[in-house]
This record gives sequence, structure tokens and C-alpha cells, in this order.
Amino acid sequence: MELEASVHLHAVKLMGVSKRYGNVTAVEYIDLEVGKGEIVGLLGPNGSGKSTTIKMILGLVKPDTGSVNVLGINVKEDPIGVKRKIGYVPESPRIYEFLTGLEFLDFTGDVYGMAPDEKKKRIEEFVKALDLEGREGDMISSYSEGMKQKVVIISALMHKPQLLLLDEPLSGLDPKSARIVKDLLRELASQGVTTIMSTHVLEIAQAMCDRIAIMYNGRLLALGTMQELREKAMMPESRLEDIFLKLTGTGDVKPIVEALMK
Amino acid sequence: MNWKTVLRLISIDIKSSRLIRGTRLGSILENKVLTTVLYVGACICGAIVGWLIGNFYSGVPDPALKEAIFKGATSLFVTFPTLALIYGLVFTQMSQIQRIGVKVSIQPLYWYPITWGEHTLASIIANLIGAPLIITVFICSSILVASAFLGLIALAVCTVLALMGSLFTASITTEIVKVLQVRVSGAVTKVAGRTAVWVRLLGTIIFLIVFYLVYFTLVYGASFTALIESMAGGQRILWFIPYLWFGITLSAIVNGLNFEAVIFALTSIGFIYALFVAAVRLNAKFGLYEAPSITISRGTYTPKTGLLGKLGFSSLEAAIMRKDFKAFTRRRELMYIFIMPIVFILMPIVSSIRGTADTMPSIFSKFLFVYIALLPGTLMAVSIGSILTGSEGESIWYVHASPVSAKSYVKAKYFFTVFFSLAVTVICILFAAVWTAPSLRTVLIGFFEAFLLVLALSMVSLSFGIKGADFRELPRPRMIRPLWSLINMAICLALALAIISPMIPYAVKILFESIFLPIDLSTIISESYLYSALFLSAIIATIIFFTFYRITVKNAETLLSSAGG
Ligand SMILES: Nc1ncnc2c1ncn2[C@@H]1O[C@H](COP(=O)(O)OP(=O)(O)O)[C@@H](O)[C@H]1O
Ligand SMILES: [Mg+2]
Repeated sequence: MELEASVHLHAVKLMGVSKRYGNVTAVEYIDLEVGKGEIVGLLGPNGSGKSTTIKMILGLVKPDTGSVNVLGINVKEDPIGVKRKIGYVPESPRIYEFLTGLEFLDFTGDVYGMAPDEKKKRIEEFVKALDLEGREGDMISSYSEGMKQKVVIISALMHKPQLLLLDEPLSGLDPKSARIVKDLLRELASQGVTTIMSTHVLEIAQAMCDRIAIMYNGRLLALGTMQELREKAMMPESRLEDIFLKLTGTGDVKPIVEALMK
Repeated sequence: MNWKTVLRLISIDIKSSRLIRGTRLGSILENKVLTTVLYVGACICGAIVGWLIGNFYSGVPDPALKEAIFKGATSLFVTFPTLALIYGLVFTQMSQIQRIGVKVSIQPLYWYPITWGEHTLASIIANLIGAPLIITVFICSSILVASAFLGLIALAVCTVLALMGSLFTASITTEIVKVLQVRVSGAVTKVAGRTAVWVRLLGTIIFLIVFYLVYFTLVYGASFTALIESMAGGQRILWFIPYLWFGITLSAIVNGLNFEAVIFALTSIGFIYALFVAAVRLNAKFGLYEAPSITISRGTYTPKTGLLGKLGFSSLEAAIMRKDFKAFTRRRELMYIFIMPIVFILMPIVSSIRGTADTMPSIFSKFLFVYIALLPGTLMAVSIGSILTGSEGESIWYVHASPVSAKSYVKAKYFFTVFFSLAVTVICILFAAVWTAPSLRTVLIGFFEAFLLVLALSMVSLSFGIKGADFRELPRPRMIRPLWSLINMAICLALALAIISPMIPYAVKILFESIFLPIDLSTIISESYLYSALFLSAIIATIIFFTFYRITVKNAETLLSSAGG
């Protein structure tokens, strides 16, 4: 019993994980432990390795070194077992445009082996909550980007995954839906669902995440709660933006702005 | 009208259609030198042909024969404009069909300062670049050179002008049809509601069938000389059809009816202008028309429990198969697949109509049965299998992220290919059986072999389809890399021959038993040979199936475990 519990203590555990694409080092020796029910934000500028890290957790990208463990399962050994427990939203997802929103969600339910009754209940609830009612029977090709994003978010949440991997999930959502998704993630966290989400929007990270991981050039610069990050940066009263700029060494933006204004 | 803008738009169109075709020929044509060589080559070839004709004419000693050639040449000239109209229509429609499924068209850049007139003109001219223009260059240069020998320069110049006019008319018509098609199909979608998907599928198929019917009739059907003869005389009877006015002008010139010639020349120019104005107006009105979204279901949602579950497919496998079925009935670029078997049946019909309509010789009818029984279904298996993975397109991330095992993936994709191809096979065999009336035994043997071919080759092409999958969707869904597509076809051809090889002696016997042969085949190829041949065929097919099953599962494992390196 004790042993079982300790094995499952971490929802996600990355040990010495790195990934290179040719000359580009996308991710460099990252160690990351995420506890159950935690919401962790991956924060970093474009190209810092957030998406690659998420894909490695899901098993879509094979790390060159290190190991990835999800909910007690080694991703390399049982990739399908891991995928079954994960809800994934890629960045700017493309989905089958020839299906209707409803058909796509129905398809997702079947892919994850949901029972018909449960599938129906979950789809109806989500469609209503995210204001897709009335359009769910239309072909996705006629949806706006935000509506497509909503459909993908529903498909990631509807099969009750234990781990959510969300790559820039709120981009393109209207404020009301973004708020609903945020509240939903909090609610799910209290039920023990773990979330790892990437973002480059500082406000989202600060408002939603228990802990924040700052990534830069494929490396994990800092990891901790807001308070811990402030201490690490020795900027006790600062906002996340200033900490972020200081830690990533991109603090002094004044000359750049001045150059642009010329 | 700003001509610089028009020229710039044309060059954009040429580049984008090269991207759309995405063939290697495209990259050859990219080379400006080679493009020039093509046109100059057509010009030189035309000149040589014209020179040969002219020399031949000059060399003829008999004045009566000379007179006859002269007459023939003038009546040929008269038909050229209408001929140009027909090939202009066929080629410009063809290039429109090639654009089916293209995601980003060169939309009228409506936020740029471009008028609809400029846009429409550019589109009309760009449509003619390539085959229609090369053919025209060839014809014109041969006419001009030959006419120098015949002393018909003036007529030749008029012919060239009329030919250009006709070609232009054809392209404007295609442009008008294009705009109307979008608008009308949008209106139909709105009216049809739920059934819009089926209306669209049927409409697309019917359009393509009609197009190919016309195309094959022109290429293989009615004899060419008969067509020209009837056109030379027939044009004038059909004077009320504006499309023929260019030809009528020429025939008026030939017959010395100067007044009529002037009238028809003026009305033809008026017609082109009116057509062009109509195209511009239509474009201005509907050019930015967005088809209404298709609503497929309304009201409460009830999950379906399908038939597939009872056949031993897991809910995941059944879901993938249902999704693929929807893709093939809803994505226009995939609907194209449906017409392939129809075209294969049409081709021999059209070419057999051309011959005497008497009873078919028995060899021909037996051959026809084998052809229709085996070919469309097998080709369906080979092409569906090879594009089924690539047709996921950029949505492939979903498959990557889903808990789908390689074996499930292969199972779903394989049986989808097999079901589809077998359905086609059964329909084709029924059709061929009614048409060529073979014995029941022949029908059963044909079905058995077709069945083996479909079962084995579906797996083969599935494995290459995964290996060579190309998920890029812009500007046009690629599905499979050309090289792998070629490899797949070559290997499928070889393996298909291997599967049917045991049957070849038997087929030879059946086909030629009515003909005298030096050896008596029936003593060598007995009944028992037939059964052992069928058995051998089945064994070969089974071996191919299992060999490629392993390869396919391996390929699927690689596919599912690596997204982007
Ligand atoms: N499939 C790939 N092939 C080559 N390079 C890649 C690939 N995916 C990501 N990269 C590179 O890896 C780095 C990290 O990318 P990514 O993880 O997408 O960053 P982020 O999501 O933080 O913006 C970038 O430099 C990117 O160019
Ligand atoms: Mg990213």
C-alpha cells in the first residue's frame, strides 16, 4: 500500500530529458516533477521548448536522453496506456473539417471507449457550457478559429483524463469561455486532475497556476510558486513580468523599443 | 484596366497552379528556359508540318487533285475556330477539376486595389496557359506556313484571329461556369439541408461523368474526319449559336459572302465582349460568395450503436472507419475516387460504340468481362489503401495523441479499404455480367480472383500509404509522396500478376478456344487444372497478405510513435 502510494505520488516525472533537432537543442536536460492535482504552467518565449516538452510527456516525441514517467507508467514502455489517461490540446490544432462538431466529439468518445450514455451526457453538458449550442450540427469547416479551439478543448476534457496537457489552450477563446475553462481546470484540480499548460501570456500563468516553470532556450530556468520565484529573482514585490524578464536575461527592452521607434 | 496588374495576377496564377499540381513536370516548367523551349518547339513543329503540307501540295502534278487538296484545306480552316472552342473548353474545365479540394485558392485579393475586370481577365488568360496555348501555337504556325504555299495567307490570318477568339470564348465560359457553380451549389446546400452532403456527392459525380463522357467521345469516339466534315457544313445551319459565329465568319469569307462575313465578324466581337462583361458582373456579385455551412444534424443527439460493433470491431476501430467513410462522401478531393470505376466502364463502352454496333466478337466480350471484373475494384483498393493514411492530413496529431494501437489502426484502415473496394467489385461484376453475358462459372471465377486481388493489394498499398504518407494540406492535400505512390503501383502491378498468374493458361484457353490453335489446349488444361490454379492463386494471395501485414503493422508503429521526429 505504502509503496503503491509513493509510486503514484507524481503525476508526471521527467528525469534528465533532452531533445535535439539537428543543430537545434529544443530541450536540454530537464528535470520536472508535477504532483497530482497540481496546475503547472510552462512559461517561456517562442521557441523555448514548451511544446516539445509537452509532446515528450505525451510520447509523441521520443527524448534523446532521460526518461518520462506519467501516473506511474513509463511512457516508453506503455505509450498507449499513457495516452488513454491524457487529454491533449495541441497548439493551433487542425481537426477533421468534414465532420460536424457533434460528430467529432462522438468520434472522440468512441476512440476513448466511453459508454454511449456517458458520452451523450458529457457532450451535451460541454456544448452548452461553451456556447456551442445551435452550431454543433454544422460542419467544422464553417466554424471560427475560437469555435474549433472549443471543440478541441471539449474533446480533451470529455473522457475524464487524469492528466491534461494543454498547449496554449486559451488562445482564440472569448473571455467568457476562457473564464469557464479556467474555472473548470481549478475544479478538476480539486478532484485530483493534473494540468500542465504552456503559455507565453504571463497573466494567465500567474492567475491559474500553482507553480510556474520558466523555460528559456530549452532549459528550465526556474520552477516554483510565485513566492518562490520572487525569492529566487530577489525581487520580493515584483510582478511575474519583471521576474520573467530578469530570469531570461531579456530585462532591458528599452533600447529595442527605442530602436523600433526611430 | 491596368495591364500591369493583369500581368502580375496572371503570373501569380501560373505559380499557384504549379504548386497545386505539385508534379515534377511543374518544376520543369518552372524553368523559364524550358517553358520557352516548349512554346518555341510547338511553333517550330507547326512550321515544319505546314512546310511539309505545302511542299506536298506544290509537288502534286495532277490539277484535279490539287484542286481537291485546296478545297479540303479551306474547309479545314473553317472548322478550326470551333475545334479550338471544344479543346479550349475541355482543357480549361480540366484545370478547374484539378483544383478540386484546393484549400487556398488565389482568392480575388479584394483588399488590394484590383478591379473585378482586371481579376477576371487575368483568370481567363491564365486558364489558357499550358496545353491550350501550346496546341494553338502549333496549329497557327502550321496554318500560316502551309497557307503561303497554297496562296491563302489572308484566310490563314483570319483563321488565326478567329481561333484566338474562340479560345478566349471557351475560357470566359469556363470562368462563368465556375462562378455559377459555386453560387448554385451554395443555394442547393441551403435548400437541401441535411441531404446536402448527398446532393453534393451526387452532383460532383454526375458532373465528372458528363465531363469524361464528352471527353472520351471526343478522343476515342466519333471519327475525327466525320466531325470536321459535319462541322464545315453544319456550322451555317446552326447560325443562331453565338459560339459558332467565328467559324461562320470564316466560311463566309471562303464563299466570298463579304457582307455576311463583316456582320458575323462584328457580332462575334460583340459576343466576346458581352460574355466578358457577364463574367465580370458575375464575379463582382458572387466572386466572394461563401457557401453556407452544411448543417447535418439538429435537435437532440443520440449516440448510434453501429453494425460494425457486431462484426467484431472495437468502438475505436468502428469510429475510425465511420470517420473515413464520412471523409470519402464529404471531401470533394476524395469524391474523385468514385468516378474511377465509372470511367473505366465508360471507356470501353464509348470505344465499342464507335465500331459496328453488331454483336461483339466473343473474345472481345470475354476480355471485357475480365477487364471490368478485375480492374476497377483492384485499382480502388490500390488507390484507397495508398491515400487513406495521408488523407488524415494535418489532423494526424489526433491519431498520434489517441490511444490507438498499431494493430487497431491497421485493422480499421484495412477493412475500410476492403469493404469499399469489394462493394465496387460486386457492382462492376454485376454490370459486366449483364452487359457481356458470360457463363455463371466465369462470373464466379472472376469474383474469386477479384476478391483475392482486393484482399492482398489493400494490405500492400496500405503499407506503402503509411510509409509514404504526406500530411501537408496546403495548397492541396497531398496524401502520398509521388515516389512512394509510384513504388506502390509498380509493386502492386507485379504482385497482381503473381496472384493471377496461375490462371493465365486457363484464361488463354477460354479466350482462344474458338480460334484454331496449333496445339489442343483442352487436353493440357483440364478441369482439375482450373481448381488447382484457383487454389494456387489463393495461396499466393495469402502469402502476400501476411508478409505485408507484418510490414504494415511495423510502419504503423513508426507512424504512431513519432510525431515530428
Ligand atoms: N519537428 C521539429 N523539427 C525541427 N525543429 C523543431 C521541431 N519542433 C521544434 N523544433 C525546434 O525546437 C525549438 C523548440 O520548439 P517548441 O518546443 O515548439 O517551442 P515553444 O513551444 O516553446 O515555442 C525551436 O527552436 C524549434 O524550432
Ligand atoms: Mg509552442
